[in-house]
Amino acid sequence: MGMREAEQERPTLALQLRDFALRQEGVLVAIMIVSVIVLSITSNNFLTTDNLLNQARLLTEVGLIALPMTYIIITGGIDLSVGSILGFSAVMLGWLWQEQGWPLEVAVVACIAIGTLSGLLNGLFIVYVKVPPIIMTLATLALYRGLAYGISQARSARGYPDWFFRFGAGDFLGLPTQIWFLIVGAIFSGILLARTPFGRGLYAIGNNVTGARFAGIPVDRYLLFIYTFAGFMSGLAAFIFTSRVSTTRADSGTGLELDVIAAVVLGGTSIMGGTGTITGTMLGLVLIQLLKNGLSLSGVKGDATIVVIGVVLIFAILANNFIQKRLQRA
Amino acid sequence: MTATTKRIESPAAGLTERVRSSLSVIGSQEFILAALIVVLSLLIYSYNPRFGAERNLLNILSNSAYIAVAAIGMTLVIITGNIDISIAALIGVLGTISGQLAVHGYPVWIAWLAPVVVGILIEGVIGYFVAFLRIPAIVVTLGMASILRGGLILATGGAWIYDLPQDFFLSQKQPLGIPMPIYFMVALVILAALWMRYSPAGRAIYAIGGNKEAARLSGLSEQRVLMMVFLINGLMVGVASVLYTTQFTTIQSSVPSGLELTVITAAVVGGVSILGGSGTVIGALMGAILIRTINSGMIFVNVSAYWLQAVQGIMILLTVLVDIVRRRRQMAAIGRQ
Amino acid sequence: MPPILELEHISKRFPGVQALSDVGFDVLQGEVHALVGENGAGKSTLIKVISGVHKPDTGEMRLNGEPVEFDNPRQAQHAGIATIYQELGLYPDLSVAENIFMGHTPRNSLGMVDWPRMREQSREILASLEIFNLDVSRKVGTLTVGNRQRVEIAKALSQNARILIMDEPTAALTEADVEQLFKIVRLLQERGVSIIYISHRMQEIFTLADRVTVLRDGHYIGTKQVSDTNESDLINMMVGRTVDNLFPKLETEIGEPVLEVRDLWRKPFTLGVDLTLRAGEIVGLAGLIGSGRSELAQVIFGITPAKGGEILVDGKKVTVRHPGDAMRLGIAYVPEDRGTQGLIKQMTVRDNISLAILRSLTQGPFINRTEERSLARRMIDQLNIRAYSPSQVVEKLSGGNQQKVVVSKWLASKPRVLIMDEPTRGIDVGAKAEIHRLMSELAQQGMAVLMISSEMPEILGMSDRIIVMREGHVVAEFSREEATQERVATAMMSATNGGATIVPPIPAIEQQEGITK
Repeated sequence: MGMREAEQERPTLALQLRDFALRQEGVLVAIMIVSVIVLSITSNNFLTTDNLLNQARLLTEVGLIALPMTYIIITGGIDLSVGSILGFSAVMLGWLWQEQGWPLEVAVVACIAIGTLSGLLNGLFIVYVKVPPIIMTLATLALYRGLAYGISQARSARGYPDWFFRFGAGDFLGLPTQIWFLIVGAIFSGILLARTPFGRGLYAIGNNVTGARFAGIPVDRYLLFIYTFAGFMSGLAAFIFTSRVSTTRADSGTGLELDVIAAVVLGGTSIMGGTGTITGTMLGLVLIQLLKNGLSLSGVKGDATIVVIGVVLIFAILANNFIQKRLQRA
Repeated sequence: MTATTKRIESPAAGLTERVRSSLSVIGSQEFILAALIVVLSLLIYSYNPRFGAERNLLNILSNSAYIAVAAIGMTLVIITGNIDISIAALIGVLGTISGQLAVHGYPVWIAWLAPVVVGILIEGVIGYFVAFLRIPAIVVTLGMASILRGGLILATGGAWIYDLPQDFFLSQKQPLGIPMPIYFMVALVILAALWMRYSPAGRAIYAIGGNKEAARLSGLSEQRVLMMVFLINGLMVGVASVLYTTQFTTIQSSVPSGLELTVITAAVVGGVSILGGSGTVIGALMGAILIRTINSGMIFVNVSAYWLQAVQGIMILLTVLVDIVRRRRQMAAIGRQ
Repeated sequence: MPPILELEHISKRFPGVQALSDVGFDVLQGEVHALVGENGAGKSTLIKVISGVHKPDTGEMRLNGEPVEFDNPRQAQHAGIATIYQELGLYPDLSVAENIFMGHTPRNSLGMVDWPRMREQSREILASLEIFNLDVSRKVGTLTVGNRQRVEIAKALSQNARILIMDEPTAALTEADVEQLFKIVRLLQERGVSIIYISHRMQEIFTLADRVTVLRDGHYIGTKQVSDTNESDLINMMVGRTVDNLFPKLETEIGEPVLEVRDLWRKPFTLGVDLTLRAGEIVGLAGLIGSGRSELAQVIFGITPAKGGEILVDGKKVTVRHPGDAMRLGIAYVPEDRGTQGLIKQMTVRDNISLAILRSLTQGPFINRTEERSLARRMIDQLNIRAYSPSQVVEKLSGGNQQKVVVSKWLASKPRVLIMDEPTRGIDVGAKAEIHRLMSELAQQGMAVLMISSEMPEILGMSDRIIVMREGHVVAEFSREEATQERVATAMMSATNGGATIVPPIPAIEQQEGITK
């Protein structure tokens, strides 16, 4: 049988390399190597342990939320409310602890729980009321941010005890503590996506939701889970963010959805759904952080570095469209 | 083709048609919103009569102007099934350009016109990406927002602009005792409403949003219509930026926070369907005034203005829910017939 | 009088199927010309050629004696040929008047939309169709199906259509709406408009049409004056082919009932259906498109769960709320539409085959890839799927091999009841024979098979028992011995079949809405 023979012909190494180079991950790794070389030549401060560890600290919150965002975009959805969930959860953490007198440990748990519930609310409306994800999460982008402002009355909470800072400003086994959350989260999410029926189901949903339903995949349950997961991760990121910057403010996480979506899309997840990997997202995340770091090392002020994210986002999609077309022709 | 059998319909049929159309006016989103604004104002007034002061009412209208004008553009964009979340950043950039030109001694009319032109250009770029490169508007405008926001900080460092010439403050002029922005708001809304209703191009927007396939069969070019919509949006955002910027005596080179959400709320609450294909600029105007009324009312009933954004989120959610429920009911009602 | 439209030697080939071969067709001015044939006979392709959607490979089309070629539907419209699409051409949020005039809106001297004139002209057009009770300012989205169709017809007339194509125009209409449609058709005819009328309902053809043309398997069979023919004559022309030995139905022992369905309801397509499937039995489910066959299958499989009645498996009452429930009960469904329902085309052969049973292919929480691969290999071997590797993307396979992948997916779930919806549509002869052989083997191994098919030879050749549905009801049942092409076709199409309950047409209650629950 022809198929048998063909299968035994394993693709040659050259072919495998070409495939890899064509894939977004290959391109990303190449760009990353070039950027690292350029940055280490142009700046003495770049290739130092301190700088690299600090960059790792900075990218954790975006990275944590990028994990569920990868899932969501693979299914063809989007979540614009993650930054607001972060702000809302962070405010609640400070408010419950400082204004309501809850023990800080309990407030931390509540913060993550509130994030999770916020995501659940998104999911319920998207799945059962069939509100398009863009609109639903745009509405809750306003709602959760508004709750953050309303409840805190724009007052910041500070004065956390020392142990609290261990998570966002401390180290564990030689690395910033929070990066361990990201490492564990990324491995967990990556395996979940690549190896389990759930992950396969997400790809199926993103490529053809009708086909997925006809194959008996519990589409509604999966969608509900991923939006809830996004809320959970935003809550967790809120806790780490608060611990890192040592104050909670109602504007925490404003515009964070942009960084998250940019990392996911740069990582090769198609904005139309159906493709994408956690590895790609992590590469996208690191690359964006490198670019931001490079800009700030060359003297660009902090907030202005978001220019690069906008450019990267749009060009990543153009590149992705281009690659998809080439793959289809191949 | 002229009909071969020409029959004048019975006066009775004409009457029921008229009754029904007047009923449908009462049931329309615009009317409901207007009623809501009146009722809400009366409630706030009965709680705190100072709300009813002429000064305050004019202020509410005047402060609604830039939102309403931007919401005209947003309404068009949403009717075609797209969205633009870059307008707050754009208004920030355009305002800064305007202010910079004014302090550098350019004639005031250039300082007013330049943001409009630049607004059209930038929205043209967005339109090109959406219409011709087929990238979802949400992503293009998300990216554009960060480019504009970052670029603004890069260029100005967020510096304040002082010492603007007295002529510059368009929004503070009050011909006949009525603030200038109100004139702009009323004129642009009327123009846009007429254009949307009476120009073939305006109708094409509804056609594209309602049924792309059919519109193509009728010979309409989706790309051209989308491009036109974003260009008009640029025009409206440009005007809105002038109205917004010229109300303050100093300009901070920054992005007005959450303004895009306010404008989207005004458009959505005004009845533009999130599924595309319907919506009016009158509704958007009502939406803008409603938001401002609530905003002002909160002060008069001693509710912190910090809750405003949450209220906006709930307004969007409720409107969308009502829209979805109404459509389902309609389907069911047709089924029963 | 020369024909207004003439087609000669029209052929059209799609990958894997010759849709039309050397078909001739003509339309006289002011006539209603019915076009009939079984599903897949080539009617749709023919009208798509006429309306400019498809370009024919060979042949000539003449309009008023002049040769014409259409590159797109718009050109056909300009030439006066309009098609009444069910719903597709309308804008739900715009008014009736605007829908009628979209694309050629009346304008005033300033180039602005002239609303009063547009409304007036709309009223005139509607009045010319003797429609007086339709408010031209109303949004089309709020209209009934019948009224929307009237708007479509008015729209065609506003573009000066001389030839109107109506494809199954009564499929979704209520009795009263059908009456009014007939009235409109006759009015149009009086005004010299020609109508190409496609319908499966014999009754309509005999009340409405002047001439009727029969197609079968993409070939022209004949054209008759309606007054010179009768129902059984037409049915003979439509089905008249010899049942060959393509169908190797093996003798099987028929066992106990596996699946029983009692008074199953889900409006508007499943209206009190009873059905029994026994082990080892192939039951053919025949019926026209829109008769509720696929919808019944989807109710049983839980995609659109039942609202009333009961389902029994092995004599025990069960509830099926979603496909997962059905799968656990050993029910599998190979759907009608491979592309959107059956496959995730962008995914590989292996991923598709394992998709429905991933949960049982796991080792701990993970998909056991070795097992998954060997499952795919086994299926590729067993069904003789021509793919160069299990990791080939399904999109790249031929139709027949794609269909085998869908079947593999459901065989992998080891079902006891296999529902196959149009299992051989659009696939080549070789693959077709393989699928038939497989079905037969499965039945022999004791599986109960429900085969939905529009192909009469397939139904007659494969089935132990044949059930006919019409308008949401089971209207007839034949044993293998009783069944003939004529009897089954008559039960499908005519309201006057012998031996089965006669059921009045049921109004369509809501639009079929894909798979929403």
